[in-house]
Amino acid sequence: MDDYAIGVLTNVGLVSFVALSAYLLLLAGEMSFGQQAFFGVGAYAGGMLTAMAGLPLPLAALGAMALGAAAALLVALPTLRLKGLYFAMATLAAAEMMRILFELLHLQREIDGEPVGPDGTQGFRGIRWVLEHGIEPEGYLILVWGVLLAVLVIVLFLENSKLGATLRAVGADPELAASLGVSVERFKLGVAAAAGALAALGGVLYAHHNTYIEPRNFDIMLGVHSLAYALIGGLGTALGPLAGAALDVGLLEGTRLFGGARMIVFGGLVALLLVFRPRGLLDEKVVHWLRARFS
Amino acid sequence: MAKGTLLLTLLLLSFPALAQRVKAELACAFTGTDFVYDCAINLKRGANPLSGAQITLSADMPSMPMMHNVAPVKAKPGRNPGEYEARLDLEMTGEWAVKLRLAGPVRDVLVLNYVFDESGTRPVLRRSRTAPRK
Amino acid sequence: MLLDLAQNTLDGLGAGASYALLALGFTLIFGVLRRMNLSFGPAIMLGCYAATWVNLNFQANLLLLAVVALAATTLAGVYVERLCFAPHRRGSAIAAMVASFALWMQLEELATAFLPRHLYAFPPLYAGGPLELAGLSLRVEAIVMTVAAAGACALLYAILYRSRFGLAVRAVIDSSTAAELSGINVPRVFAAVFALASAIGALAGILIASAHEQVTPMLGMWSTLKGLAAMMLGGLGSLPGAVAGGLALGLLESHSQWYLGPQFRDLTIYLVLFALLALNPRWMTTRSAS
Repeated sequence: MDDYAIGVLTNVGLVSFVALSAYLLLLAGEMSFGQQAFFGVGAYAGGMLTAMAGLPLPLAALGAMALGAAAALLVALPTLRLKGLYFAMATLAAAEMMRILFELLHLQREIDGEPVGPDGTQGFRGIRWVLEHGIEPEGYLILVWGVLLAVLVIVLFLENSKLGATLRAVGADPELAASLGVSVERFKLGVAAAAGALAALGGVLYAHHNTYIEPRNFDIMLGVHSLAYALIGGLGTALGPLAGAALDVGLLEGTRLFGGARMIVFGGLVALLLVFRPRGLLDEKVVHWLRARFS
Repeated sequence: MAKGTLLLTLLLLSFPALAQRVKAELACAFTGTDFVYDCAINLKRGANPLSGAQITLSADMPSMPMMHNVAPVKAKPGRNPGEYEARLDLEMTGEWAVKLRLAGPVRDVLVLNYVFDESGTRPVLRRSRTAPRK
Repeated sequence: MLLDLAQNTLDGLGAGASYALLALGFTLIFGVLRRMNLSFGPAIMLGCYAATWVNLNFQANLLLLAVVALAATTLAGVYVERLCFAPHRRGSAIAAMVASFALWMQLEELATAFLPRHLYAFPPLYAGGPLELAGLSLRVEAIVMTVAAAGACALLYAILYRSRFGLAVRAVIDSSTAAELSGINVPRVFAAVFALASAIGALAGILIASAHEQVTPMLGMWSTLKGLAAMMLGGLGSLPGAVAGGLALGLLESHSQWYLGPQFRDLTIYLVLFALLALNPRWMTTRSAS
């Protein structure tokens, strides 16, 4: 496969993690502008665990996911009772705080005569685990998509279970759900932790793909874009956020279809699409229809 | 003692990453077409120029990672040892993280931050957050 | 020590006045439509860029540039309203917001397509230096900004409480359904509010651009963040709150920068914002956000 295609597809896969993360929260009825922070937590934690503590990638990924979940809970607990725009702003503030903390993080170890580790705004260079284990870009693409698809299978399975239905109920009408005995608070915390872990997993993969991360990678743009992908792709299925990411990063950007006017076209199309499909391309109605058709 | 040294040497030889790191420098000139740059790359390993490396260049914007896809280009050897040339087609000016993927005598990945503008490039001088973010 | 405090307070109020103007625009839209417009900052940026383009090609004076910015921003605002908010009037707030984000990207790219560089000079408001009074330095731009903010407030007050249109707006704020039932053309009110908010935003933009003597592509994001933060600090959906929030933000920024250093300045702001939201005091949720 050609280098360019590998690059584009890897990027689509990586962004999908953050988009899925935002999607999970959207299902629970919350709009988060801050999932990029957990992506960052995963990236930094994963990078530090492999490059500085010498852990293998799978272990580092698990550690990063745990940290991502913990960070997400740290944000979700104080903001449990916030709704709508207030919640969104709180997540934005929390995410920016975390990003600034990355800018203040200076933690380097000398390895083979080179300083390795996060160095504030200079970033974190030398995340070389993938390189040192001889994984080429094609191999890494398969790794990223392998992990993504595994995650997708799990999420799709849970979505179609009682858990998924309860989640959507909590998102659509929390009072009703509560009156039916659902612990809305516990659910929201659980989803927040899961979403945080998911974004962190993406972050680990991103850090090792790039070998270099810096605080600016995790700024608001990433978060708002991911939220948009989740909504544009559709809230009816976990394939929605992937569709959104694939549409923007893959189709429009990757194909250079519109040259320098990509956002002009895409932005307009998205706004127009939302007029007719306010819950995205693959919204609940479409998914329902598809399922009825094919079952 | 000799066995230990031999083992260490074998270890060092089998892990190129543990040997001296490659350092790279970039100097690009704006070709006049938006936003294409002719870049000269200089590779050094320790104090010696590194020739014969196969470099694939790509780039990503630090502030919007994964959202820009710059077509990877393979660099051609330049006139002097350790020098290579490549033409980068970026989508806009600003700060880019240029990724150099090395194959050949050394396998490595280097990421360099450069600011690209109408004249050419200059390396990013990172300061701590002194200026208010505008 | 005391002098520093006074100087920082003055600087903070000056910057705060610009934030207040931005917050007024945001609040107007949010207060009336109950929706978040993420294109507000970018529309302002487009206006400033249009003015910059005119300035680059025709060397116009500041007043003409202000008119250009006003026209461009208002046009952008109406466009956003028609495409993102009118269709979702009775529908999903999130859809409207994400649509406005899509247009944010669109407007920003449109602006940078015409002016792709990272920095453009903008004519200053006042060619001279700051005024010196009793050991304190006071920038003329800050004074103008404060006057403008006060003027915008007065204008809004006059419109809201002294005109028939204002009566309709207040009715819509109270309950858009009831307003509709009593015969008010709610879509027309929304469009007009958007235009008004855009005009205020354009004013803010032009003053900010000339105070900083430059425009950059970050202007859209910057205005959005400052406007949102100010609006949140002052209590969502309240016009006096927007002004108070803007001034508070300015003061918080200048003092935290002085005592804690630039690195901790933004951290402090976000921490305060987060803490306020987490504590969820009464006055921050005077009106529930949908």
